[in-house]
Amino acid sequence: MSNRSLPRLLQAPAVFLLIVWMLVPLSMTLYFSFIRYVLNNLRRPEWTNPNISNWRGFGNYEFVLNNKDFLLAIQNSLIIVFGILILTVALGILIAILINKPFQGQGIVRVLLISPFFVMPAVNAVLWINMILDPVLGLQGLAVEGLNGIVEDLCNLPVLGGFFSLWPELEPISFRATQTSAYAVIMMVTWQWTPFAVLIFMTSLQSEDQQQKEAAVLDGASTWAQFRFLTLPHLARPIAIVIMIQAIFHLSLYAEIEIVSRGNGNKNLPYLIGEFANNNIGAASATGIFAVILANIVAIFLLRMIGKTLMD
Amino acid sequence: MAIVAQTSKFSQISRPVLAWAIGFLFFFPIFWMVLTSFKTDADAVKPEYLFFFQPTLENYINMTSNYNYWRFAQNSAITAVVATLFNLAVGIPAAYAMAFNPSRSTKNILVWMLSTKMLPAAAVLYPMIFLAKGIGIFDTHALVITVVSLINLPIAIWMLFTYFKEIPREIIEAGRMDGVSTWSEIKEILVPLAWGGIASTALLIFIFCWNEAYWTVRLTTIDAATLSKLIEGNRAPEGLFFGRLSAVSTAAVGPIVVLGWFCQKQLVKGLTFGAVK
Repeated sequence: MSNRSLPRLLQAPAVFLLIVWMLVPLSMTLYFSFIRYVLNNLRRPEWTNPNISNWRGFGNYEFVLNNKDFLLAIQNSLIIVFGILILTVALGILIAILINKPFQGQGIVRVLLISPFFVMPAVNAVLWINMILDPVLGLQGLAVEGLNGIVEDLCNLPVLGGFFSLWPELEPISFRATQTSAYAVIMMVTWQWTPFAVLIFMTSLQSEDQQQKEAAVLDGASTWAQFRFLTLPHLARPIAIVIMIQAIFHLSLYAEIEIVSRGNGNKNLPYLIGEFANNNIGAASATGIFAVILANIVAIFLLRMIGKTLMD
Repeated sequence: MAIVAQTSKFSQISRPVLAWAIGFLFFFPIFWMVLTSFKTDADAVKPEYLFFFQPTLENYINMTSNYNYWRFAQNSAITAVVATLFNLAVGIPAAYAMAFNPSRSTKNILVWMLSTKMLPAAAVLYPMIFLAKGIGIFDTHALVITVVSLINLPIAIWMLFTYFKEIPREIIEAGRMDGVSTWSEIKEILVPLAWGGIASTALLIFIFCWNEAYWTVRLTTIDAATLSKLIEGNRAPEGLFFGRLSAVSTAAVGPIVVLGWFCQKQLVKGLTFGAVK
């Protein structure tokens, strides 16, 4: 008997820790979301204590729902996550198919390609927004300036000059500005996570049924048809897994947004919560509960999928 | 054979060229960061020194005085090492139990564990700060290590479980027949057999812990602040310090990227929980 129960007890510490980790802070968030709770308020100092007498009912939720940033933040969260997912999966499939067949230096290309995945998010953001995307001093600024210089030189050509003088002067894009900063975030995260997708798709492609493929070729199937009807179905499961793992990581994206724009016009839910939490803990907690609900919608969907595919 | 001839032109010339180009494209930002780290702050923003410049080590030499780099690096190392060890200590027994003594609820427990990973960190950040300040452990290693360990524990258990599941149960059970205790069953049979899987789990968890940016930034001020906090606190305003910032960034990610190269093969299996073969 002890032979069976002791080994099972060994999972108890992990389960216990995760239950505590989940329940304690979450129930506190739930509680805070129903009371008036701020960090500083000189006129109403009693609100600075998380006391039950400050009960506010659904007041915080109403406040959050009426906040103009809230819907924007949800929208931004979704744009960023879906943008990244679509790009990484599409690029991942293309690149994986490209480098799947052996060629000279395949191993080195693989190592070069996977490197971005290990860069810490803070460095990723600092590197991209400053040294690459900066409209004046970054590579983007230099490239735009260089191109404008070339066009200007071409304008002085004897015959063709007239044609080139019609070209508009290029303007560098500021990625710290309101809308574009979301694109900057999508770009840098895509850079970091595409390698991950490539690696997984490549592994999966290696187990593709080659005989089936050869048969298709003999039957005169086009390259597109082979991809559409053989490769893509084969990749269905890895695509599902890439989407799931990325959703876990990107719904809580924070460092990149903080560094790129300080949330300037481009908050996602975690960022908005952080902003509320500078003073209004009640509102931050209510937003947090909304974030939990959103994550749960995604999670139910994904976990059902993973539960089916992984536990065979 | 006609098929081979048909595709060979693309395969032999364009494919490698394109593949190398993409490899370089993805590596370029890292290369650029390393290159810039050898320029002075003034040279780093001059177009005429884009690729050819007088290399200098001053950014690395001054890293301590500019950024107090080693202190943050030390904190990152302590956090990542202890959290990884913690993950193994709690994760190996748990994964062992689930892989070799599964019950009807094992599958649900595993999926539930993964679901804790989806809990938005921002939603529970404030209670954590509140508790930590209440107990008086805000900005301490103990707090950061605990949190960073717990957020990675589900991944660690899943990975270990995936590796353990591949070990034939008979081997473990044979040991049990011989009356080996559970403890030595893990220590003397399981761990040596699953050594490769345990090592790659440890490596990957270490990388995740080192790179963690949300909790480590929000739960620390100075004493336990990690490299993520250092970099985030010093994002250069409008290109002032590209040189020195690149140096400190290179030092922060360099060792991890190299470690990553070694575990990239195991990464797939670990992170897809064995579902992609």
